[in-house]
Amino acid sequence: MTAFRLSGVSFSYGKGPVLKNVSLEAAAGEMVALLGPNGAGKTTLTRLLVALLHPDAGTVSIGSETTDGKSPEDLADRVGYVFQHPDQQLFARTVLEEVAFGPRQRGVGATEAHDLAMDALVHLGMHTARESHPYDIPLAQRKLVTIAAAVAQRPRVLVLDEPAQGLDRETTDRVSALIREMAGEGVAVLAVSHDLAFVAETFDRVLVLTNGEVVADDCARNLIMNPVRATDLGLRQPDAARISSALDLPGAPFRMHDVSQALAGRLHPGGLQ
Amino acid sequence: MIIGYQPGTGPLHRAHPLTTLTIAGTVAALAFVLPGPVGPAVLVLAVVLTAVFEKVPRILRVALIIAAPFWVFAALLHGVIAQDPTRAVTLSARITAMIVVFLVVLASVHPARLVDALVARRIPFELAYLLSATLQAVPRLRARAREIIAAQRCRGLRVRGPFARRIGVVIPLALPLILGALAEVDERAIALEARGAASPSRRTPLNPPVDSTVDRLTRWSLGVALVVALAIRVLA
Amino acid sequence: MSVEFTAVTFRYPGSADPALSNVSIALGERGSITVLTGALGAGCSTLLLVAAGLAPHVTGGDLQGAVRTLGENGTTKDGRASLAGRVGTLLATPWTQLSGMSFTVWEEIAFGPANLGWTRDRIDGAVDRALATFDIARLAERDPQTLSGGELQLVMFAAVAAMEPVLLLLDEPVQELDPRRSDQVYAEVLPTLAEQAGIVIATTNVDRAVDVADRVLVLDNGRILADGDPAPILGGSTMVAGGRSTTAARIARDAGFSEPYPLTVDALIQRVVS
Repeated sequence: MTAFRLSGVSFSYGKGPVLKNVSLEAAAGEMVALLGPNGAGKTTLTRLLVALLHPDAGTVSIGSETTDGKSPEDLADRVGYVFQHPDQQLFARTVLEEVAFGPRQRGVGATEAHDLAMDALVHLGMHTARESHPYDIPLAQRKLVTIAAAVAQRPRVLVLDEPAQGLDRETTDRVSALIREMAGEGVAVLAVSHDLAFVAETFDRVLVLTNGEVVADDCARNLIMNPVRATDLGLRQPDAARISSALDLPGAPFRMHDVSQALAGRLHPGGLQ
Repeated sequence: MIIGYQPGTGPLHRAHPLTTLTIAGTVAALAFVLPGPVGPAVLVLAVVLTAVFEKVPRILRVALIIAAPFWVFAALLHGVIAQDPTRAVTLSARITAMIVVFLVVLASVHPARLVDALVARRIPFELAYLLSATLQAVPRLRARAREIIAAQRCRGLRVRGPFARRIGVVIPLALPLILGALAEVDERAIALEARGAASPSRRTPLNPPVDSTVDRLTRWSLGVALVVALAIRVLA
Repeated sequence: MSVEFTAVTFRYPGSADPALSNVSIALGERGSITVLTGALGAGCSTLLLVAAGLAPHVTGGDLQGAVRTLGENGTTKDGRASLAGRVGTLLATPWTQLSGMSFTVWEEIAFGPANLGWTRDRIDGAVDRALATFDIARLAERDPQTLSGGELQLVMFAAVAAMEPVLLLLDEPVQELDPRRSDQVYAEVLPTLAEQAGIVIATTNVDRAVDVADRVLVLDNGRILADGDPAPILGGSTMVAGGRSTTAARIARDAGFSEPYPLTVDALIQRVVS
């Protein structure tokens, strides 16, 4: 069951093509990461998915319906979108109000909206800040609030633009865990990121967008553990993968935890004390 | 919809910023001084032609959108209720002339050139920057409003439909918009400091506005025209 | 030293808890690259703002103790006038630093030098050098409003560097950049800039910073936790366990290496093969 699909999508802002004949499809519960250098068209692609933009050619579909003639508000019950910079969307007086906004727009009652919002905030460890003014909390926490706001909409497709940016390791891990949890519940997740290390830790399927074209759509391992291919695609192997490749660790692990384990196994064959 | 500076090479673009501002001020004043409906109507024609010659015709579409509600209002108030269609046309023309000239000025005055023009007149840099930034406030607020509305649409905010609902949508955003704009002023202050604004040296103009004879003559003539128009209005 | 803090305690307006507590430090000498790190909210950004004279002047708040930047007192008007252009500050939110007065990247980079009253020739030279150093010549005619996040960050960094300051205070300067670009900044741009300036970088991601930093300063809840050579400090168990160190160090620790943990991939590999 296709959760979202782009078919032969092309788009231009008027000064040259930004996306050229892009095709991408994901099923319910699938986690997809979209990588690419700055200016490759990643954010544009996410905006097409939520009908903030419409393709010049090709179709964009959420579920079985295309975004043709639709507006973002028509899709809000199915798609949650997290903007790259939280300050682009924060506007309520309290964190709780902000997160409850989405459900309220759908016509959900105040109590139920409150519950949905609290649930989302708890998931992101932000419930203690629920009465704070969004601009009184640090930037990284504002980011988590915007993610909670999208989660509270109970979407079937979750689109995140640079979710790990500006976050420290601990907070990034929290976001990774949430993404995996959402996928486990059947939500299709698309994350746009230029941070290959974050992508490597969380995602199995990775697409690479360069100059508006999809140049790779493969499992993370094939892209990350193949240094030649990674370089060709303009990707820099994350440090964990570099260690694994250089030391030729058994099983070719590329996630930090797996690399540590394999390395420990190599150095202390009898096991650690 | 484009509001704000658009690079160009027309006469208003090349004119000294103070000249362009004087033109705008004079037109705005004349819009209310000239007896209607002929006076304001001619003025509207004049500013529309200016927009065309300045090669910023796109602002006319924006002007239309902004002016339309005023036309409706004037038509209702004076045309239908007071049964005075002439007055309706006059009022609409006055407002339209002001809207168009304001947009033309926004489109043709490069904010940095305005700052340089003011600094050359011995106005302190920070004040000049503030004045120029105020002109940019409208496009910036619009850009910010657009972003916030786009984000809220992704969360289900309904923006199409009856006018009343659209107003209902904008009102709760008004306060955060204004607060956000004020916070932005704060941030700009940091940005300015970090870019050498506190320097005691006089800023070097990158595209120095030249106050030519034509500029000075134009401003004088406009001043005279305004006084004459006022005199005629008072004496007639 | 370019920046000297003596018993500095700083509170933001309306905040009971101090963002910086009794901080005494000297840093930023020309040619040095110092990394300032800590948990989010530890005070790294605040320290930079105070050093730049932007806090409390623009942010408001209450400052106790003494701050001297390049020998000046940044809290006075004369001090700030003297510091203009000599201290380059790059905030973590590059879009807030746009002048609003420029419609091309070239104009935006020239904004700072123009404000400093340089001659047209000197401005042209500085902008050209900045475009070259940051490898953004292809963006010169673009409208800054149309740039992507990463492009804008590079442009704002270039705009600050174009003033040829002797002290650069950078808050997460590569946050929006893709890995190739951020590597380029650490490997090429920063060493070039360090030839003329003292550099202080606040960042929570020290993976690449350790390649160029000669000093690390770790903050925790507004206080200095550690200060000195990166290898022993970031290679220590507490730092690594707390997520304050590099990926390589973390992997080394989890794999059972002994302290001090290697900070870079190369160092880790060296340890293994030997």
